[in-house]
Amino acid sequence: MAVTKPPKFAKDFWPYFYRVIATVIIASQLIVLVVIAAILYMFDFHETNLLAFGGILVAEAILGTVSSIAIYKLASQPIKDLLAAIVHVSGEPTTTTPPNPNDKRYEQSGFKDVLQTIYQLASKDTDPTTVLSSAPAAPATITDAATLVKPATTALEMALNETSCAFVVMNHERVITFANKAAPLSIDSNGVSSLSLLFNGQETLDAWLLECDKNAVHAERTWSRIPNKLPEEEGRRFFDVVASYDKGAESEVVLTLIDRTNLYEVGEQELDFIAFAAHELRGPITVIRGYLDVLEDELKDVLKDDQHELFHRLTVSANRLSGYINNILNTSRYDRRHLKMHLAETTIAEVYDTIRDDMDLRAQAQSRLLTVTIPADLPTIAGDPASLSEVFGNLIDNAIKYSNEGGSINVTASPKGDMVEVLVEDHGIGMPASVIGNLFQKFYRSHRSRETVAGTGIGLYISKAIVESHGGNISVRSEDGRGSTFSVLLPTFKSVADKLKAGDNSNEGLIEQGAGWIKNHSMYRG
Amino acid sequence: MAIKTILIVEDDRFIGEMYVRSLKKANYDVDWMVDGNDGLIAARNKQYDLILLDVMLPERRGSDILEALRGGAEDLIPHSKVLILTNFEQDDESRMAMEKKADGYLIKAEITPSKLLSVIGQLDQPAL
Repeated sequence: MAVTKPPKFAKDFWPYFYRVIATVIIASQLIVLVVIAAILYMFDFHETNLLAFGGILVAEAILGTVSSIAIYKLASQPIKDLLAAIVHVSGEPTTTTPPNPNDKRYEQSGFKDVLQTIYQLASKDTDPTTVLSSAPAAPATITDAATLVKPATTALEMALNETSCAFVVMNHERVITFANKAAPLSIDSNGVSSLSLLFNGQETLDAWLLECDKNAVHAERTWSRIPNKLPEEEGRRFFDVVASYDKGAESEVVLTLIDRTNLYEVGEQELDFIAFAAHELRGPITVIRGYLDVLEDELKDVLKDDQHELFHRLTVSANRLSGYINNILNTSRYDRRHLKMHLAETTIAEVYDTIRDDMDLRAQAQSRLLTVTIPADLPTIAGDPASLSEVFGNLIDNAIKYSNEGGSINVTASPKGDMVEVLVEDHGIGMPASVIGNLFQKFYRSHRSRETVAGTGIGLYISKAIVESHGGNISVRSEDGRGSTFSVLLPTFKSVADKLKAGDNSNEGLIEQGAGWIKNHSMYRG
Repeated sequence: MAIKTILIVEDDRFIGEMYVRSLKKANYDVDWMVDGNDGLIAARNKQYDLILLDVMLPERRGSDILEALRGGAEDLIPHSKVLILTNFEQDDESRMAMEKKADGYLIKAEITPSKLLSVIGQLDQPAL
């Protein structure tokens, strides 16, 4: 077959076919001319009437060519259309629009059925609803949209009205030809019903359908969390929308809307609450930290040493408060499965640098001896710098809290197989083995710490969540009265790079390499 | 191109004054707009080297301002850098949408004025 042999694509067949036909037309015309000329010549026509002889040859050349082209055009048009349909069905790259079976000329010539057959053959799913909806003769109702959403008559329609899923069917003109009871429709003053769905930004159903009309034969697309009304409106519902497009079919667009209001509404309220709470809490913190920063800078030559110390205490407290707010926000996100890690190639040293100043100040203000030893030649890790700095901040904050004044706290890091281990060691009050099992639970606070040390009980909970989202592990060794050592194991970048690139990492982390993007608190948190 | 002129769009008076004060002290040329509409007008009328943009703003949100400036076919502020500075916890989608169009996305509560100055210093160095 000429289609498959020399050309790579089905669409390449047409130029080839075209060239062959053109050659055949020219060659056949030349032969006809030569034959006519020979016949006339034999009868000595050129001698009796040279002008007529020439005229006949010219007329034949013109008429013959024109009629050949006309016949060729007529005969090859269906082939051309078939080819275009096949090219689109096969998914080859093309700039042409696929032939629309609803085109007038196709309907007249009966070619519509051929196109529909091709399109149907290409669609693997022999969808029973399509067959059903095309069975009753519907053309007469297309003119009046309002009557189209008619009361259920068949058993199937009645059954569809019982479900909370909405089904909406549209024809090529985008007139709704069927909608069940659950469909979110609005009817305008002319009685024309339309879908009421509020899509996000430019990714709307209409935009997608326009795109389909241009470039697709069969297509499917899903949107999630699409409301039918604005936030404050009565009866707001949320849908996951599945749209399928089948060019030229009676039911060209079939929408399945799954009502997820129960699921999304709660999330929506919480999201709003957390978002606004964060905004509210962070506002004053921003001002406090900011003005402390400005004032300390402007007053640095005026303040006495003990006043400097008071300033440090203010700064340390404000920073801690800020850290706790982040813990609360992260916990809320984690519990709603919204906590996402943006993994990038980084080092423990880089992460720690973002909180170094803050930690030094904190240890100093609370009279602890903080020693941090992070070797420069550690392997890089795949980490979310902002989240990891919060983990280290939490662990050091705990070490300060549960140790005594003048106590030493050591932070060290070392490679351990495919992991890098960070240890935070204090020589404080420690804890008995019975406590350790519950330590990483939400709101868990040991009996003793409840009496002596303030805290929310979510610091370790969220730290564990963050470390585990990295594919790492957090653990603790402790001796009652002698102090505790927390260990954080994080996978090296090398060990997870392939997985990250393949995109199958469980925490949906992104890979972000190189500079250019300034990530919050990754570089500027200290 | 060194950053010299800065537009701040920030509705919180305390925070706005804080940035203005420290940026002016560091010899930047600073304009400050309190609501979103004025912010957008200012950004379109004058070429700033840097725009510090809040998200939750009266009249017009920061995301809408950014969309108006950089969402169309033509970037209306090709010579300006944009830093988003917000305390508002946006959902991932809207945050990603803004990150794509901006040169940085920072949580205000984490950025003290001196850190902001170092971020601006970083922006000034051409990214290679």
